[in-house]
Amino acid sequence: MSELSDVKAEDQAADIAPDGGAKEPEPVRAPRVRRLDVIGRRNWFFALSLVIIVPGIISMATRGFLLGIDFAGGTELTVTFGNHPTLAQVEGAVDAENASGSVIQTTGGGYILRYPPLTAAQVTNVQTDLQNRLGPMTGGGPSQILEVGGTIAGETIELSLLAVAIAATGILILLSIWFRNVPGGWRAGFQFGGSAIAALLHDVFVLTGIFSILGRVFHLRLGEIDAFFVTAVLTVVGFSVHDTIVVFDRIRENLRVSQRLSFEQVVNLSIMQTAARSIITSFTVVLVLAAILIAGGPTLQGLALALMIGIVSGTYSSIFNAAPLLVVWRRLQPLR
Amino acid sequence: MHIVLSTPIRLFVVAVLIFSLFIDGAGFVYRIANHLPLTGDVTGLPPNFGGWQLYFHKGLDLAGGTHIDYQLTNFPEGQSRSAVQQRTIQVINKRVNALGVSEPEIRGAGNNYDRITVDLAGVSAAQAQKTIGAVSKLIYTKWVPDTKVTGGPEPGYKPQLTGLTGDDISNASATIDSTGVSWVVNVSFTSRGATTFDNLTRDNVAACPGDPNTSASANCAQRHLTIWLDLTQKDIDNWEDPSYAARVSAPYDPGCLAAQTETTVCGKFLTDPITLQEIAGGNAQISGAFTQTSANDLATGINSGSLPVDLVALDVTQVSATLGAQAVKLSLAAGLLGLSIVVVFMILYYRVPGFLASLALLFYAGVVLALFKFIPVTLTLAGITGFILSVGMAVDANVLIFERFKEEVRAGRTIAAAVDAAVRRAWPAIWNSNGSTLWTCAILGFVGPSAVKGFALTLGIGVLVSLGSAIVVTHNLLAIVLISSRFRRAGLLGVDRVRTV
Repeated sequence: MSELSDVKAEDQAADIAPDGGAKEPEPVRAPRVRRLDVIGRRNWFFALSLVIIVPGIISMATRGFLLGIDFAGGTELTVTFGNHPTLAQVEGAVDAENASGSVIQTTGGGYILRYPPLTAAQVTNVQTDLQNRLGPMTGGGPSQILEVGGTIAGETIELSLLAVAIAATGILILLSIWFRNVPGGWRAGFQFGGSAIAALLHDVFVLTGIFSILGRVFHLRLGEIDAFFVTAVLTVVGFSVHDTIVVFDRIRENLRVSQRLSFEQVVNLSIMQTAARSIITSFTVVLVLAAILIAGGPTLQGLALALMIGIVSGTYSSIFNAAPLLVVWRRLQPLR
Repeated sequence: MHIVLSTPIRLFVVAVLIFSLFIDGAGFVYRIANHLPLTGDVTGLPPNFGGWQLYFHKGLDLAGGTHIDYQLTNFPEGQSRSAVQQRTIQVINKRVNALGVSEPEIRGAGNNYDRITVDLAGVSAAQAQKTIGAVSKLIYTKWVPDTKVTGGPEPGYKPQLTGLTGDDISNASATIDSTGVSWVVNVSFTSRGATTFDNLTRDNVAACPGDPNTSASANCAQRHLTIWLDLTQKDIDNWEDPSYAARVSAPYDPGCLAAQTETTVCGKFLTDPITLQEIAGGNAQISGAFTQTSANDLATGINSGSLPVDLVALDVTQVSATLGAQAVKLSLAAGLLGLSIVVVFMILYYRVPGFLASLALLFYAGVVLALFKFIPVTLTLAGITGFILSVGMAVDANVLIFERFKEEVRAGRTIAAAVDAAVRRAWPAIWNSNGSTLWTCAILGFVGPSAVKGFALTLGIGVLVSLGSAIVVTHNLLAIVLISSRFRRAGLLGVDRVRTV
């Protein structure tokens, strides 16, 4: 401890001139930081983002989403039959009920049966009927019954949109406050906040677009939108801003200490300095998500996939979109 | 930074760690203290320490059970809605208690006191709905002449509400009648109910006096006092439609009544006894074609009172216990796998600091799990995912510090100065980035749909603890370990070169 107190004075001096005081300001002292001109090639990176986002938006606009039971409303039974009937047999039995049900096969040999909203008595009838046709269900009945009325489905959608809107507005305000101490004051803070929001929207569109394509173009159940997906979107919102803030924080710090560099140079330097951290952190989280994807079972797989897409996109956007956008904004609206 | 590295803080961290481990292992502490076997079911668990029941509260998707959101409709006029909602919750509670569910959760919700959420562990959806929605409001009617009526139990007459209902009954019990063959339900009226019942029976007898068993003239329709379940004025208004009257006059159908909607017409008829004589004293017997079960159901239903409102199920979720257990197993596996991947990666990439960060991560996991038990947080599948994800986020603060540490070492600082500078300079980024995540969690917790709230809570707790663990625990461990010169080698620290002076 005493050792640490001893270096205090030296450290404070370094704070004022971290690049070595009177020495020639050589911004990149670290030999291992590779220089990549992200800012100079920003249009390429913006274009790459568009290549991913535009098909997603087209898919969302023309085909919409594959809605899970939470949003679509209805009754869903998860069942496993002791006799292991084939998909065709189950479909035949469900069609014969005339309850407009549909069948989805799960990985575990079970089936998910979807119906329009049924009453409790109807659910019992459907169960009895199925057992008469296909033999007893494992465990004496469905392993899961979900019933969502139209009111709740509508509310879930409303609440989700409201949550995204409030979160984005709140983050804009928080960033404007946190970054008001960069040269340029509140307006600069607003530029930081605005660029972070743009990167955030980028990630939300990448994620929702890819899920729209998965669900509606490839007809995969993995691309289904449910309450878990909303969770994923909101987590990605948090994570995206999280990543962007780390880069912006470095820009703020470098703006203060290296005043001889142009704004573009400072931004590029900051991106290079934080890229390792961004990639390592995202990589760790992606590893954790891979664990959920492999071991977490069918319920959590959609969530894990959504988070993975969002987090990779969040890392990309914080490095290649948020900071370059800040530069573009600064050019359009210079602050002195 | 002096404060963080001071002895009191270190003692505090150790105290938190010991306390957390005690809570995490509360079950084992209890078993060891009482010389009980370490595995299997033993009595006295979950342990209770000074009023704290320490165990993981599992949500329905993990424990198995039924979740129902009810919409309340037909609020009685002139009563405060919140009071009506509370009364409904009490009635549901009484009914659910008959099921013997452990820890039933019945909460009011809705913007206008118009929702009730019910969580019942280990109960099927059908059973839950039957019990909660069981219509057990006894309605006594007398008969008034109406020539247009052709159907029902008394053609030429239609029922009229007497004002006497199940609410006027103080107690009901199922018993075998004096013949020892059939089941009956004995009811005791409240004092108001007793008076009404006395008056009704006296008027009935007065309508056509005599002994109905011997005199035909004494056997008039007005002498019958009919008992229904949940008969409404609307039903009576439709009495002139013979098919409607016939359907309502069918024997009461609990299944139909529990699941009824606006348009269904269920059988509501219970019994139509003739009044032999005036009954004073407030005790009566309901006889009918009861079995032991149906007599008990009716008695329970009457005792638990009637719902002041109508309930409409908005959504129902039923998860079987096996699926829940499977979900617990899968998410535990995912959590452990995730944690070990992170630990291996951190050690390989950051060497000694990575190892220290892994220790901090275990501290973090121990504290968070203890908090889940202590608060307590009801764990759902989404909640566990939030926790697993927060492990990933917990690493981030460490990564920020270590990357900064490498930079500071490269910039030519001594190890000790580099640690100090790294923590201090990484702090704004750590705080701002985690702050925005906490903000998102707060919004999700307040605004989000219910499934999302559990996720937000566990993620939020995780982020808060990870902040403390990275700043305080990792920093202290680094400072302590790096005092020893043996660890100050470039290879062990994951940096190119180390300034030795």
